[in-house]
Amino acid sequence: MKRVEVKLNLEAVAPLLDVIKDAADDLRPVLAVAPHVPDHEADFADGWKRELLEGQNGDIGVFLGLFGSEFFLTGVVPLDPTNSEAILRACSAVRLRLRAKHLEPLGDEALESNEVPLEEMPETQQKAFAAYVFLATLQELIVQHLDPTGLE
Amino acid sequence: MIVAETSPNPQARPAPASQQQPADLWHVVVLNDPVNLMSYVVMVFKKVLAFDEMKARKHMLEVHEQGRSVVWSGVREQAEAYVFTLQQWHLSAVLEADEAR
Repeated sequence: MKRVEVKLNLEAVAPLLDVIKDAADDLRPVLAVAPHVPDHEADFADGWKRELLEGQNGDIGVFLGLFGSEFFLTGVVPLDPTNSEAILRACSAVRLRLRAKHLEPLGDEALESNEVPLEEMPETQQKAFAAYVFLATLQELIVQHLDPTGLE
Repeated sequence: MIVAETSPNPQARPAPASQQQPADLWHVVVLNDPVNLMSYVVMVFKKVLAFDEMKARKHMLEVHEQGRSVVWSGVREQAEAYVFTLQQWHLSAVLEADEAR
């Protein structure tokens, strides 16, 4: 089983964890993306959303598990095929939430190009943007090195 | 037939007769979103829909440039399963009836 250990800069990443955990907490009762549910009876839509939410919460739990006491000792997060899919999805959910909560006023073009007026932004928004970029980097790393499609 | 990796339980909850389409052709459509990375969307298409790299990139670019891409068409139950699985990956996926029929 392929396993990748990523050594993160503790000084850079630890301050982002508050804003990440805050976004993750927001997502506990709601989906990162309001889903389009196919036309069925009302209880079908409820079940559909409930299953999505359970999955989202499970993924976020796996993701937050990366940042336990071991991480604060070593700065290392272990990635392997057993956690990579959940982490990818959790990163996506948290990025969606960070954008909705903190980054929307910056505009999509600025966010896509990473050209944001960092020094003019309030500290919370700076951290949210840094977390947004960090999570994208983690996703890129997993896609490149662990090939979650299993087609490697 | 390709089987989605995970399925909600749409199969266990058939549509009421009044909602069933005689044509029975449904499209899975993915809409653009400003957050998910291109590489992530390509990976999801490969994983969920078993696309090869070229086909996954083609559909990702369609989503990015045209705002939407029909990624699968077929019977409703299977289409619903794909929509659910793509939503698990936080893509904006919708089910559309084939209007041409």
